Amino acid sequence: MTAPGKAGRLGAALLDAAKAMLVAFGLFVVMVGLRTDVSSSGALLLRTRWMDVALLCAAVFVLRLAMALWVRPRLPAAGSALLGTGLTRAGLLFGPALLAVALVLPFIPGIGRYELDLGILVLTYVMLGWGLNIVVGLAGLLDLGYVAFYAVGAYSYALLAQYFGLSFWICLPLAGILAAFWGVLLGFPVLRLRGDYLAIVTLAFGEIIRIVLLNWVSLTGGPNGISGIPRPTFFGLPFSMSGGPGTFAGFFGLEPSPSHRVIFLYYLILGLALLTNWVAIRIRRQPIGRAWEALREDEIACRALGINITNTKLTAFALGAMFAGFAGAFFATRQAFISPESFTFIESAIILAIVVLGGLGSQIGIAVAAIVMIGGFELFRDLDEYRMLVFGAAMVVIMVARPRGLVGSRAPSVLLGERRRIDASLVGEGRG
Amino acid sequence: MSGATEEAGSEILRVEGLTMRFGGLLAVDAVDFAVQRGSITALIGPNGAGKTTVFNCITGFYRPTGGRIRLRRADGSVAELQRLKDHSIARAGVARTFQNIRLFAGMTVLENLLIAQHLKLQKATGFGIGAMLGLSGYKAAEAEAIAKAVDWLRATNLLDRADDAAGALPYGAQRRLEIARAMCTGPALLCLDEPAAGLNPRESDDLAKLLAAIRDGTATASAPTSVLLIEHDMGIVMRISDQVVVLDHGRKIAEGPPATVRSDRHVIAAYLGEEEEA
Amino acid sequence: MRQGPLRCQMLQNPLRSPTACVTVGTTVPPQKESALAYALQQLINGISLGMIYGLIAVGYTMVYGIIGMINFAHGDIFMVGAFVALIAITLLTSSDLMGGPAAIILVLAISMVFTALYGWTVERVAYRPLRGSFRLAPLISAIGMSIVLQNFVQVSQGARVKPLEPQVQGGIELMRDGNFVVQLSYMQMLIIGSTLAVLAVFTWLVTQTALGRAMRACEQDRRMASLLGINTDRTISLAFVIGASLAAVAGTLYLLRYGIADFFMGFIVGVKAFTAAVLGGIGSLPGAVLGGLLIGLIETFWSAYFSVQYKDVAAFSILVLTLIFLPTGLLGRQEVEKV
Repeated sequence: MTAPGKAGRLGAALLDAAKAMLVAFGLFVVMVGLRTDVSSSGALLLRTRWMDVALLCAAVFVLRLAMALWVRPRLPAAGSALLGTGLTRAGLLFGPALLAVALVLPFIPGIGRYELDLGILVLTYVMLGWGLNIVVGLAGLLDLGYVAFYAVGAYSYALLAQYFGLSFWICLPLAGILAAFWGVLLGFPVLRLRGDYLAIVTLAFGEIIRIVLLNWVSLTGGPNGISGIPRPTFFGLPFSMSGGPGTFAGFFGLEPSPSHRVIFLYYLILGLALLTNWVAIRIRRQPIGRAWEALREDEIACRALGINITNTKLTAFALGAMFAGFAGAFFATRQAFISPESFTFIESAIILAIVVLGGLGSQIGIAVAAIVMIGGFELFRDLDEYRMLVFGAAMVVIMVARPRGLVGSRAPSVLLGERRRIDASLVGEGRG
Repeated sequence: MSGATEEAGSEILRVEGLTMRFGGLLAVDAVDFAVQRGSITALIGPNGAGKTTVFNCITGFYRPTGGRIRLRRADGSVAELQRLKDHSIARAGVARTFQNIRLFAGMTVLENLLIAQHLKLQKATGFGIGAMLGLSGYKAAEAEAIAKAVDWLRATNLLDRADDAAGALPYGAQRRLEIARAMCTGPALLCLDEPAAGLNPRESDDLAKLLAAIRDGTATASAPTSVLLIEHDMGIVMRISDQVVVLDHGRKIAEGPPATVRSDRHVIAAYLGEEEEA
Repeated sequence: MRQGPLRCQMLQNPLRSPTACVTVGTTVPPQKESALAYALQQLINGISLGMIYGLIAVGYTMVYGIIGMINFAHGDIFMVGAFVALIAITLLTSSDLMGGPAAIILVLAISMVFTALYGWTVERVAYRPLRGSFRLAPLISAIGMSIVLQNFVQVSQGARVKPLEPQVQGGIELMRDGNFVVQLSYMQMLIIGSTLAVLAVFTWLVTQTALGRAMRACEQDRRMASLLGINTDRTISLAFVIGASLAAVAGTLYLLRYGIADFFMGFIVGVKAFTAAVLGGIGSLPGAVLGGLLIGLIETFWSAYFSVQYKDVAAFSILVLTLIFLPTGLLGRQEVEKV
């Protein structure tokens, strides 16, 4: 590059950064520069923070300049596509490796209670992501109220246990069935709606269910939620510290330890997540799974081929809801306490973000996205109130950098000869 | 197969008094025609004549305002298509292609053809459970479906592209794939919406041969299939059609073998100044 | 520090109490002899609330019409508008300039300008790079942006609910029935008056100016519009700027009427405004206002006669029913499926 060109580029970058700084000044001068505080008398007071505004503006200037001068020129045009294929290829090895680590995690030295709890949390989101992937990734139905079925599962278990004294192992399938039933009930009238309408209606359903849970105090305890939900037993053997013959520790002759239950919960959610994965992988190779994907690609063509669109969509919706129901029952038994606060829209949004960031339809991508998002969120726990801010910003940045998610290419469900790459740009995104 | 030959010559599709009104616009006005079993029938007419509307009524994408559309299948059963909607039309035995190709672009060619056999495969899965557990009944059904797909891939000269994404195929190949996909549903009547649009002369030739083979049942081991098509390319219409129905302004103005229709003065008047490739 | 079970729902914010929404539209419990007067009062309340929803709904519908995406962050833009107004009012009060219509207009103007800048930036940062890409990407980006805005305001302005003393008090007594007084407050007059004024300017902008023509052209067919020499990027930016200014007006009025602001207020109001846009037929500007009015009325009457707790359920149920029986909304264009 010649010197004048370089100088010109520098000049343009400087100008651009100055403009960005000006915008930043406009954004921050009021919202950051003037802080409102409520005084003891209830009146509003203003505090000025011009220094913070100046620092923020300077930061924007530097970042923008750095973007223009160093980051952008080095971004190879084909970089993202390369990463996609790399990840797909690595997925062949990476998937089993990840599974192996997950299987032995509780016994890796240095893994304590905290790490296992984090593992349980991540796996819950992995499971929810895989469940929602059936609806959004395969069938192309945009569901913004997925958390509603998670809530149905959790409350089903809590209420069945509370009122009828049913055990976790009976309630788990029931919670799934009830969630699927609600999926069918809510899905039936609205699944013929076009894309964004479906999105807003599912969001509305999610909110309706939450508001009902919040206000039906006599049944659900309202905002106080339900506490004292029975903890799971090892197929009838409770995890009790007494160590008596009827307990898990006593039966197997182990030293009673609180970590038994955590390890058991960890394997329980791992098992549930793997079940979700297994069903999703198997079903993709089934006629119904192919029909879902076909529906995502072109609904009209499906009709012309004699596929009953409503029923096909309903099965996807119900199956996705069922897995959310399982996860909900697990959540209830793990926490021993649930309240409507755990089932707000932001949960649906995060699960959907995991699915989209992972790459629609890609099992391994979703697992990685859940680990990155939820694990990363935990990693930044010292940021306190800035944590959600970073989380939201990360969502935007990842989406802008990789709109198709981590794994964009689609793996065929059946092959005649050898596998060829299906580019992400060809894969449909569904109208629903 | 013998049943089909016995009845050859009888009508497979009878359209009577078909009327379609959009608001105040009368798009199709009491049209009658028939498609003979084992024939290729072309529906032609100038732009805006109502061809596509008739086509969409037959294939269930519109519900006609009035009239009857009866499909008489090889086993003698009759389906009243005007009463059926959406997917039930395809189940009754009518398959179609689209003017602006509608493939499942992100799925492979083979997957496209398996989706076309969805109904049969879905039955074999035993409500999804048998297939989930990998029971043999489903495996056999899938193998059979793949064999049928391979037959059609061979017939449409797409065998080497079976594992490519449908959207990655060249235009002409996509048209052939759409026909193969429609045929995989095992239809009694194949409806094609401008199958030659955008094809080069050599591809058009191949298409003509393919359609004749479909009609005669020589394309694959499957039964002869009657064909109804809309086409603008008069060359191909006159070459392959056994029967031509001409529409203009929503009415039928002529019907008969290509030679008769070509010399019909109403037809000449309707087409005056356009479409003189023939 | 690193012990104790994690909350599974750690992404929850404990401060976001979903119950802490303002109860609107209820005044005095109904008395038998003044049923008509009570209904009339609810009508007035409902219309003034509906106007606020309508203003926000216009922003949703405009963006949806042009680029076909749900701008999830729009509710939070409304929240930002309320906060800018709150700060402006506090600033004016501390310098003894608050009071009188001129001050209110100044506050509205300040809020519109700064909020518009937020609208513009959101589009520029989170949506423009994703234009023409995969449909779900901008939606996720928008949800991310919504989280960013909420938490930015939480960090910069604090998580506490900010109370604002009533700025506009008094009203006209319209009717007296027994001991029930139907009142049209000056605040409600302000809401209705400024909404009508803003909408009048907006309608003029869309129907009479080159900018409006460009916007409508982009809405019809963006590629064709760009071939005809319309700067679509600029037009889209302007749609965001206009939408954000309208949301700022709504935020300011909402703040003045209900006297509170918190960083989470944008979510539920945003969802209801989007519901209003869909109800009116998304993409239709008059539909958005009509939908807003209907949602406001439904919510107010439901709270007045049935239960306050379930007012949102009522609004959402109406949405679901409308979509099932009238899939394109009240004033939406019928979409013919091309095959």
